[in-house]
Amino acid sequence: MHHWMYSCKEVTQMVSESLDHKLPLLQRIGIRVHLLMCKFCSRYRKQLLILREAMRLQEKYIEDTTLPTEARERIKRSFIYSLNKSQ
Amino acid sequence: MPDPETWVDHYGDYLYRFALSRLRDRVAAEDLVQETFLAALHARENFKGHSSFTTWLAGILKHKIIDHFRKESRVQPVEDVEPFTPTFDDLFDEKGKWKIGPSKWTASPMELYEQKEFWKILALCLSKLSGRLARIFTLRELEELSTKEICKVFDISATNSWVMLYRARMLLRRCLQINWFNVKTYEGE
Repeated sequence: MHHWMYSCKEVTQMVSESLDHKLPLLQRIGIRVHLLMCKFCSRYRKQLLILREAMRLQEKYIEDTTLPTEARERIKRSFIYSLNKSQ
Repeated sequence: MPDPETWVDHYGDYLYRFALSRLRDRVAAEDLVQETFLAALHARENFKGHSSFTTWLAGILKHKIIDHFRKESRVQPVEDVEPFTPTFDDLFDEKGKWKIGPSKWTASPMELYEQKEFWKILALCLSKLSGRLARIFTLRELEELSTKEICKVFDISATNSWVMLYRARMLLRRCLQINWFNVKTYEGE
């Protein structure tokens, strides 16, 4: 690994940062070059993207979660009370 | 707008899931759902029907969640000293090369998402994050707040937010790998 190239540790940080803001062009090129040569860092990048997608999809996949009955009744009672008061 | 008497029955589950997937705390999720219905009741004249009623309710809940995170982070400031700050030095050698690189995740994303167990493990991994990392990560990835907005909520610098998001992603990636993929990949490889 040449000294002017990024290390894996640096690339993992920059790949994460690239998900949060646009990196300068030279950094982007440096990352590209590294990813072409480094199997582990390109896996890491793919896995961060899966993590991001999974976070956004999780609601769809936890559809069997429901408001517990006891909480539902409690919320309903306080809500109906406020509703009647406001009318 | 649907009759308020039916709101809790019709939208309670949806809002609860929305809150729970962000707060990961049943009691707090129930409280914010209750507050959301009351706030919606008082603000119902503001609902113009430009968005669906569900979206409107979720918008109210979203603000409540961000407020909740803001308050929590004041009690436990974002900049406070954590007993354990992950540096990931154990993952890299002195030149910054992976010691043990990420192993291949054998399932495609779609195959992954079909498995109930995967979502359980993701939830488990999220619950292992410290409160501050979990709050920041949730606002970034679920609410899709920009880091600028996140910095405002938690009163931190941009650099600080990137470092914390990096930590959260590193920890989650590793946790998923250990608890889900390693079990599978080691058998196959």
